[in-house]
Amino acid sequence: MNPNYELPLDEADYSFGFLDEFAKREVRRTILKAIAIPGYQTPYASREMPMGRGFGTGGLQLTLSLIGQDDTLKVIDQGSDDSVNAVNLRHFVELTCPGVDTTERTSEATLIQSRHRIPEVELSESQVLILQVPYPDPLVVIEPSEAKRKVMHGEGDYSRLLTKLYEDIVQFDEITISHRYPTRINGHYVIDPSPIPRYDIPRLHRSKALVLLGAGREKKIYAVPPYTVAAPLAFDDVPFRTEDFSDEHGARRTCGRCGADDSFLDELIADDGSKVWQCSDSDYCNQRLAEPSHEVSA
Amino acid sequence: MPDHIRSAGTDWQPVAQQGAFRQIMNCFAYPGRLGQLATEAKHGLPLLLATLVDRSNRLADPHRLLDDDEHRRLGANSGTPEMAQFVVQPGVLPPDFQPILGSLENPEQGATLIVVAERLGTGASLHLSGPGIDGTATVAVQGVDPVWWQKREQWNAGFPLGVDMIVVAERQVLALPRTTRIDLKGAN
Repeated sequence: MNPNYELPLDEADYSFGFLDEFAKREVRRTILKAIAIPGYQTPYASREMPMGRGFGTGGLQLTLSLIGQDDTLKVIDQGSDDSVNAVNLRHFVELTCPGVDTTERTSEATLIQSRHRIPEVELSESQVLILQVPYPDPLVVIEPSEAKRKVMHGEGDYSRLLTKLYEDIVQFDEITISHRYPTRINGHYVIDPSPIPRYDIPRLHRSKALVLLGAGREKKIYAVPPYTVAAPLAFDDVPFRTEDFSDEHGARRTCGRCGADDSFLDELIADDGSKVWQCSDSDYCNQRLAEPSHEVSA
Repeated sequence: MPDHIRSAGTDWQPVAQQGAFRQIMNCFAYPGRLGQLATEAKHGLPLLLATLVDRSNRLADPHRLLDDDEHRRLGANSGTPEMAQFVVQPGVLPPDFQPILGSLENPEQGATLIVVAERLGTGASLHLSGPGIDGTATVAVQGVDPVWWQKREQWNAGFPLGVDMIVVAERQVLALPRTTRIDLKGAN
């Protein structure tokens, strides 16, 4: 970074939300079509943003097209409000959307932009979840031609994708996809739900909140509407399962910080080289610690 | 139809359009719920169009619900209902056109039909189900010819192809995306 360069803020004169109104209108039209065709990757003209594609520009364009002065925004990266991607995106929105509140508390937010996690606390109808997507098309691993993939999606032809999952079972005795688990929305389109862990997939199913997914580099917007069936691809005899947090004795591991035994855990290496587990959702962990009745058993 | 529907100056401001979009998006996410368009005009239609339509779209208004000045301000290309992305129609008249339904590869190219009704919240009840609806929902619409619902069912028979409908009456708005099923037997 050039230390001599200062952004001339007083001369910058950004329009509210950085994007011009034509860009916002196009994103908004695309959002409506994405909701109307659940799971369909609706193309749009992804704009240049003042950050590299791949750093959440798709999610950011959605957020900037939605946000108004009565909104409260929460931005998380892998569940954390304090990691660098979240901090920078939040700062950018604060800079270009004067009057908008930001928060770390899930329950206070009206818009939640997230990279790779869905918050632990169940979202409500008054909230919108915006997920940043690096690779929107689950069929890209089996079909390089987008023209052919669009036909396959339209016909609901996912036989080759299921074959890929079956090959996993033949080789490893289980489906080895850890994140970006292909999920069928409303019985038709299969989506890449962004790199959320398997643990978060059931939360897409009949969610009370609208879920919007934006891929800036790939220029696609898609949606999981509220109260909509979201079914991970699986087989009758090999059902879908989420991450197993059992220790060697079969007991559920708990968060080393707040003691939660019902959250998605990150595995960390402690100073002495041992492994510790901690809530991935930092707000959930902090809220548990702040509860007056809370006692850490560890 | 009475006189042309006129916009208010505030309808053209970004802040009004942001608020209107959130109402419209909520209507699409939760079909059957009514949204309120915050406008100083008597009717929400101009704000609705100003929020969604611009020079990159083709808009059909064959019954001239908006006058030429309003169309100039919108800046959209005019087209026939058979070829436009956005079609504005009075609900009291049955549809006499075949809208674009999109293609299998590009279903988003299906048209958005904007139907101007008399009232929402009173009138004939529609029983809705589908994505965005927890079980079933009921909404009352006054001033939309029943032929619209039959035609809509035909146009939306082959998902993902179809049309999405926005019903606007006074300042209220209702969205019926193509996935919403209307139980016509229960209608009265």
